[in-house]
Amino acid sequence: MLSTLLVQLLTGLSGASSLFLVSAGLTVIFGVTRVVNFSHGSLYMLGAYTGWSILSRLPREPLPFILGVLLTVAALALLGALLERLLLRRIYAAPELLQLLFTFGVVLVVQDATQAIWGPNDLPLPRGRWLRSFVEIGDARVPLYDLILIAIGPAVLAALWLLLTRTRWGTLIRAATQDREMVAALGVDQKRLFTSVFALGAGLAGLAGALSLPDGSANLQMDLSIITDAFVVVVVGGLGSVPGAFLASILIGVLQAFGIVVLPQATLVLVFVIMAAVLVVRPNGLLGRPQAIRENPASTTLIRPAEPALRWLGLAALILAAAAPLFVGPFLLSVLTEMAVAMLFAAALHFMMGPGGMASFGHAAWFGLGAYAAALAVKGLALPMTAGLLIAPLLAGTAAALFGWFVVRLSGVYLAMLTLAFAQIVWAVMFQAVDLTGGDNGILGVWPAQWATDRLVFYWLTLALCTAATLVLRTILYAPFGYALRGARDSELRAAAIGLDATRLRHAAFTIAGAAAGLAGSLAAFSKGSVFPGFIAISRSVDALLMVLLGGVQSMAGPIVGAIAYTGLFDLLLLATDQWRAVLGLSIIVLVLAFPQGIAGTAHRLWLRGKEA
Amino acid sequence: MLDVQDLHTHYGRAHILQGISLQVAPGEVLVLLGRNGAGKSTTLKSLIGLVRPTAGRIRFGTEYITGHEPHAIARAGLGYVPEERRIFTDLTVMENLEVGRLPPRPGLPAWTPERLFALFPNLGEMRTRLGGRMSGGEQQMLAIARTLMGNPRLILLDEPSEGLAPIIVEQMAHAITAMKRQGVTILLAEQNLHFATNIADRAAAIERGRIVWTGTIPALHADPALRDTLFGA
Amino acid sequence: MKTLAVTALSRSFGGVRAVDGVSFAVAPGEMLALIGPNGAGKSTCFNLLNGQLRPDTGTVHLGGRDITGLSPRRIARHGVGRTFQITATFASMTARENVQLALLAHHRQIWRFLRPAPQHHAREADALLAQVGMAEQADRAAAILAYGDLKRLELAIALAAAPRLLLMDEPTAGMAPAERTALMALTRDLANQRQMAVLFTEHDMDVVFGIADRILVLDRGRLVAEGTPETIRANPAVRAIYLGTGATTGGH
Repeated sequence: MLSTLLVQLLTGLSGASSLFLVSAGLTVIFGVTRVVNFSHGSLYMLGAYTGWSILSRLPREPLPFILGVLLTVAALALLGALLERLLLRRIYAAPELLQLLFTFGVVLVVQDATQAIWGPNDLPLPRGRWLRSFVEIGDARVPLYDLILIAIGPAVLAALWLLLTRTRWGTLIRAATQDREMVAALGVDQKRLFTSVFALGAGLAGLAGALSLPDGSANLQMDLSIITDAFVVVVVGGLGSVPGAFLASILIGVLQAFGIVVLPQATLVLVFVIMAAVLVVRPNGLLGRPQAIRENPASTTLIRPAEPALRWLGLAALILAAAAPLFVGPFLLSVLTEMAVAMLFAAALHFMMGPGGMASFGHAAWFGLGAYAAALAVKGLALPMTAGLLIAPLLAGTAAALFGWFVVRLSGVYLAMLTLAFAQIVWAVMFQAVDLTGGDNGILGVWPAQWATDRLVFYWLTLALCTAATLVLRTILYAPFGYALRGARDSELRAAAIGLDATRLRHAAFTIAGAAAGLAGSLAAFSKGSVFPGFIAISRSVDALLMVLLGGVQSMAGPIVGAIAYTGLFDLLLLATDQWRAVLGLSIIVLVLAFPQGIAGTAHRLWLRGKEA
Repeated sequence: MLDVQDLHTHYGRAHILQGISLQVAPGEVLVLLGRNGAGKSTTLKSLIGLVRPTAGRIRFGTEYITGHEPHAIARAGLGYVPEERRIFTDLTVMENLEVGRLPPRPGLPAWTPERLFALFPNLGEMRTRLGGRMSGGEQQMLAIARTLMGNPRLILLDEPSEGLAPIIVEQMAHAITAMKRQGVTILLAEQNLHFATNIADRAAAIERGRIVWTGTIPALHADPALRDTLFGA
Repeated sequence: MKTLAVTALSRSFGGVRAVDGVSFAVAPGEMLALIGPNGAGKSTCFNLLNGQLRPDTGTVHLGGRDITGLSPRRIARHGVGRTFQITATFASMTARENVQLALLAHHRQIWRFLRPAPQHHAREADALLAQVGMAEQADRAAAILAYGDLKRLELAIALAAAPRLLLMDEPTAGMAPAERTALMALTRDLANQRQMAVLFTEHDMDVVFGIADRILVLDRGRLVAEGTPETIRANPAVRAIYLGTGATTGGH
């Protein structure tokens, strides 16, 4: 018994070690550049592939292995430096979420590039005998390699700590973490500093990738699977804190190892439950400090109702949309249906993100819950479609109200990560509750009621409901509640000073946004005729973010324009190419570089400029 | 030493500096006087490169530094102490000084922590204290000392007396006078007329992004009408 | 009755007594200045009154009612208005909307979801803006107002709740000398008209000695002097720890 515990503990610790290597790089990069780098997972994956290419050509002995790993680290450090100089350098001044989106674009491109170079199959590394040997501890047999991994974590922590506290470079890094502009004004070339930090972080990711090979393989799923865990570690440890990342890695690694034994189905959920628990007790993570308040560019833009010209344009677009089915084919009709749903989904996210100031990375949770609620109502309880359409926003709103209680107590990146965590929990529950939801197979045959089976009728129903719900959201935003919500975003200090309860306002906004997304989800379910866990996947949340950010958070028109543009773009891509990831990723990268304020934001500025001239 | 010609700066579409021209001679203290929002801080930020000027030329010594990166300008010998002090609160006093350290300049004695502690005795007694644990006055002194570690030939001081107790302002005036004696040229932005006229040699008055008057401190004192237009209602 | 009565207020941080047994009171219509060296405990004292911090011991009474340790929001609800050292306004709204939102909050009309906010209390908001001399700026965005105007807007926002006590943290920081006197003279008038008590911290001695009815001097968390401007100016202890010779600040 004792020995199984020991083995489990050691397995947990070795897992913690590699998690720490990835997270340490992520957290150091965040500390200095303030970029939440989604593509850090891609660097880890590239570390594994590069490591495979090098190590599989070397003799299977310890010394060549070490050499190969070091070569991989150097290669990835170089690649990281290159990535920073060519791309990330250009977006340091952009809003936080656009940066996040940008690095997600990099993830997509790297995925397709990796597949093109190394092929779609998993690449396991042939292991030398020393890598397969065991060490006897008491009556337990522990893999030697696990022990090596366990030692590497603390060694890297110590090295990083010395580097950060005992060298001039480290002092500059810590200073830049706090105020990079001041560091520049004191004569330090921050561009070189940033590049070196990125190289360090990428090297660590490469190290972790290469070291993961003996226990697994290089594969195309590793980027996204590690990045969510690494985000959790970084957030639990406190953004920017290396010792925090170390503690959090151990906490999560060990709990995961034991969780697999005790409750195998709950491992996916467990990680996120830990994160939620830590954040509720310590909103800045275990060793994190309160984040400096970043100027929210949205909160200095005066919000006005749309100008008459824009309203007429909107009305014209609506009439056109309503008349469209009379002269388009079935494919375009389904695209239009999707656009209407996307519009409401994006408007719901915008509601909490723009005026609410809460950027959600897991808005798909409510969309998916709405879809599942509608599907179960119709299939499980045999209720009519209208009941499904009613239950969906109610259930999604209730769930949002429950989760929201935790979420609205945080802010910024922490809040975004907690919403991501909740979305993952919902996803895991739907995935694992096979009896209820069919698990990965989903729920099929979720068709509209008899009167709405005609694609045309269903389209009109969708358009009407989505437009009405979007208008309701708009009305709320201009009502006293919306102003108070926006006030709490503009200045929390002032909001409290006039007696506003910011937490309650945000909680209400979160609930409303969840309900609206739930309605969108139920319409999507009836339109597709089926529901899958994919409705709640991270990529779905990213879709919504993309729509809002492409459109721009400053105006109500933003998410609408964004939803239409994005849905159109995406459907065209699916038609035109099977390399849609690379094309979509590149589009995101180009769009963020070209329109750092979002499409609608940029158009609005051009409009203003035109009017003044 | 510093020669600014027709400097323009925009924030977005707002035209903040509308043609600033001024000269600072080696060894002198020039004070830039003006109301809040007149463009004092923007002028200093444009000089150090934190804000990119849209037109005009800045010559520093023999070198044109217009549009250069802040770190390059700092390395050329221009020091900057911001209004908000911007101490690294997670770093100790010694580490704060280390961030500011740049190679010595020929012809000028290099600033060392020891020399700085002679100038600001308080700081010498708290070498390992974190910046965040210091009072406002101590932070202001550390901010100046940190910039001096870069051995600047000219130092830009943005409202060093702001928010400080009168008695600390007095100490600050002594320190700045001592710096001047040790060969540092100073361009000072101030609203506190008493403080400014105590330490400055010359004054330049700035209003709505333009220099509207320059002259010596006695000339400023002799002209109550001018002081009224600058600071009166 | 006194508007604000503070008794034996104390608060420590890690063993250091930032505020140590401070007692004082402010009468309706009175302007009381709180001065002292940097780090004397002024900010801590302020934050104990406005609810940002909880006192370890001592009580705070507002109009006879115990408000010790309440949250900033509750304290605001009890009739305490505030202006901030670095102005805090709603940047995405116009000046009028800023005041309208404050009025909506005061009348507890926040949880309304239909009629647009700009259609509520417009006239009352304009009247308040006129009182602080901002009538012409009502339609401008708070984000583009000049600094001095933002300070006035803050006053109007605070007045919307008809406060009994106004807390002003370094109200004239970052303003030109003439603007400083104008703002504080305006505050003086408002305090007289509305019989509103005003407690403020300030480093500008012209403002302190020119405007305040009474002055409190804090040093190392303790109240070291209290009195009229004349007695404070003449107090040798205050000169030694705070005022200095007055050569660089005009406080002579």
